[in-house]
Amino acid sequence: MMNLQKKKLYTLLALVALFVILFICNMLLSPYHMRIINLVGINIALVVSLNLTNGFCGVFSLGHAGFMAVGAYVAAILSLPLVKKAIILPELPKWLGSVELSFLPSLIIGGLVAAICALIIGYPVLRLRGHYLAVATLGFLVVIQVVITQLQDFTRGARGINGLTQYTNTWWVWIFTCITIYVVWRIINSAYGRGMMAIREDDLAAEAMGVNLTKYRLLAFCVGAFFAGIGGALWAHLITVVTPLSFSYDRTFSLVVMSVIGGMSSITGGVVGASLMTLVPELLRNLEVGITVGGISIPPLYGISQIVLSVVLIIVIIVRPKGIVGSREFSWNLFKKKKWNTMNQMEN
Amino acid sequence: MKKLLVLLFSLVLGIALTGCGGSQEKEQPKQAGESGGDVIKIGAIYNVTGAQASLDGPSLNGFKLAAKEINAAGGVNGKKIEVVSIDGKTDQTSSTNAASKLVDVEKVSAIAGFSDSNYALAAGPIAQTAGVPFITSGATLPSMPEQVGDFFFMAAFGDDAQAYAAADYAVDALQAKKAYVLKDTAMDFTMNLAAFFEERFKSKNGDSAILLEDTFKTGDQDFSAQITRLKALKEKPDVLFISSGPSDCGPIVKQLRDAGVNIPVVSGDGFDTPLLIELGGKGAEVDTYFATHTCLNSDGEKVKKFVDDYKAEYNKEPENAFAALGYDTMHLIADAIKRADSADPKAIREALLQTNNFAAVTGSITYADGKRVPKKSVSILKVQDGKFSLIKEVTP
Repeated sequence: MMNLQKKKLYTLLALVALFVILFICNMLLSPYHMRIINLVGINIALVVSLNLTNGFCGVFSLGHAGFMAVGAYVAAILSLPLVKKAIILPELPKWLGSVELSFLPSLIIGGLVAAICALIIGYPVLRLRGHYLAVATLGFLVVIQVVITQLQDFTRGARGINGLTQYTNTWWVWIFTCITIYVVWRIINSAYGRGMMAIREDDLAAEAMGVNLTKYRLLAFCVGAFFAGIGGALWAHLITVVTPLSFSYDRTFSLVVMSVIGGMSSITGGVVGASLMTLVPELLRNLEVGITVGGISIPPLYGISQIVLSVVLIIVIIVRPKGIVGSREFSWNLFKKKKWNTMNQMEN
Repeated sequence: MKKLLVLLFSLVLGIALTGCGGSQEKEQPKQAGESGGDVIKIGAIYNVTGAQASLDGPSLNGFKLAAKEINAAGGVNGKKIEVVSIDGKTDQTSSTNAASKLVDVEKVSAIAGFSDSNYALAAGPIAQTAGVPFITSGATLPSMPEQVGDFFFMAAFGDDAQAYAAADYAVDALQAKKAYVLKDTAMDFTMNLAAFFEERFKSKNGDSAILLEDTFKTGDQDFSAQITRLKALKEKPDVLFISSGPSDCGPIVKQLRDAGVNIPVVSGDGFDTPLLIELGGKGAEVDTYFATHTCLNSDGEKVKKFVDDYKAEYNKEPENAFAALGYDTMHLIADAIKRADSADPKAIREALLQTNNFAAVTGSITYADGKRVPKKSVSILKVQDGKFSLIKEVTP
């Protein structure tokens, strides 16, 4: 066992190393590669926050994309430059039409509004369990989509808000990712976290031990929604356009897949799942170019990347039903015992 | 277990990297044999998988066909065109990644793609920031070039043009004084189309010319409620404007005609699909007109050549007008490169802007007064004997 101070030092060093590497990448790599690195960061934050609700607290939510949508739209409306706002959203109420916030407050307000939405729908919905809860949160996603499509004055409906300033860069993304991981890690290692895990294992027993079910579930749900909101806002300011279609079932399910593949009740699992599921599809794109081998030309096989990915996912789930990492966590102790194939994470 | 997993992932990554290596090998001999810059790279992002595939697949086929023809005829200014095509996967993140890869890694001279504004609006700004022209072959939201910037062009006409053409046809040829409008509220395209039609129709026949505006949603099966409301109107409309997408037009027309409503139906390019005849049946034969990009059955020389070439290359008829739009977009870019006499993106943009009466399969293209929505002819089609036939071509 290492002592606590040594671990803290290692963690700090790893963090410094991460940002030095990012800094070097930022100088050397093309904008395309940096875009992928930023997407990895955003997805890590989204999946880790999803793991807090789905994995640690056992509240299986399919509404994550809905919270992303709320955060993204709120931040987009707040941060849009006034000149553009007058053209794109002329019907906004005056108090909103004359506001232009900088990026940080927009992000935080976006996250807060998402958390408030989670509070409002969470209170009635979190009494449900299992499948019922999953379907109810999916219902929330549908409601959000309809509201965004119909609220023309605020969101421009299906046309979407475009021309957002591309504020999102490596630093915003990765600082946010580290904060998300730190907060989730602190929560699960606190009395609240233990309570959440108790609820996941057996809610009756947990209640008998004095754990307030609704309160703990709401906390996990709202914290997850807060980070989803900020993640959505960061995504929006990376892509520079938000449409209702940006936050569809596809996105919710791709996040759930990332979470399941990595390991639902583990922060490390979230990091591993999100990184793999963002990087591998981009790498697999190279399969889709036509190749000429020895005079035989193979035409581009579009869709092959999705097929390969699906097959790999099926195999992973058969071989490791609890995800790649399972419910284990990365720890510096791993280096002492034996060389564990680190997926190089610096937490804990 | 762990070993198996590591093996598995190394296998996948291995395959991916081999693919990467393969593509590099493919490029190397070209550069060696033709001494570098003799190839002009043109990017293409189409959603060939996912919900958009039925529109984007034919577009990409048309686009590649045109590139092949240009190369067979000696290329542009002595240089060959190389199409670098990436799948957008009907996903905004994938589409922007693809655009970024084309601009930053492949260093293409121009990008073409998409038949839907959701994706064109996401990918366009990346090309705009990098100063690379982006030409959307099939997306028709007329405000897009303004929204994205001065490097964004449309190859198809805007929704306003086709709706105006439909309204003009209803008023002038069908002598309509009063209209009924049915629109799909689930799609931006159908909402815009209906709004533009009403604007034009009212300006010609007065503010009370629209008797009723009814709605439905993509995927509705039963339109009897709407038809009942239509029949209950005190004053009978002279024309029905049905603003629907490809999947609903057949059932709507069939149910209207089955219910004994034989008032002429007019619509936009959402009707330009074989589904109209397959699902509409005999009902579609009764006075059904729509405005679209081109008529692939017409006797025009350009259209005939395109259809024959497409058949020879892919062993099938062009699926819809989007195939022709993809084909036109490649020729439009090649024409601009030829006039610019350069593969420099900025020079190509300048040349594109000067495009004047460029003869394309889908009508002649002119970017007038610095506008990047083309002034382009609209074809009015009618269903006749189980086929679409051209009524007339109009330039609004």
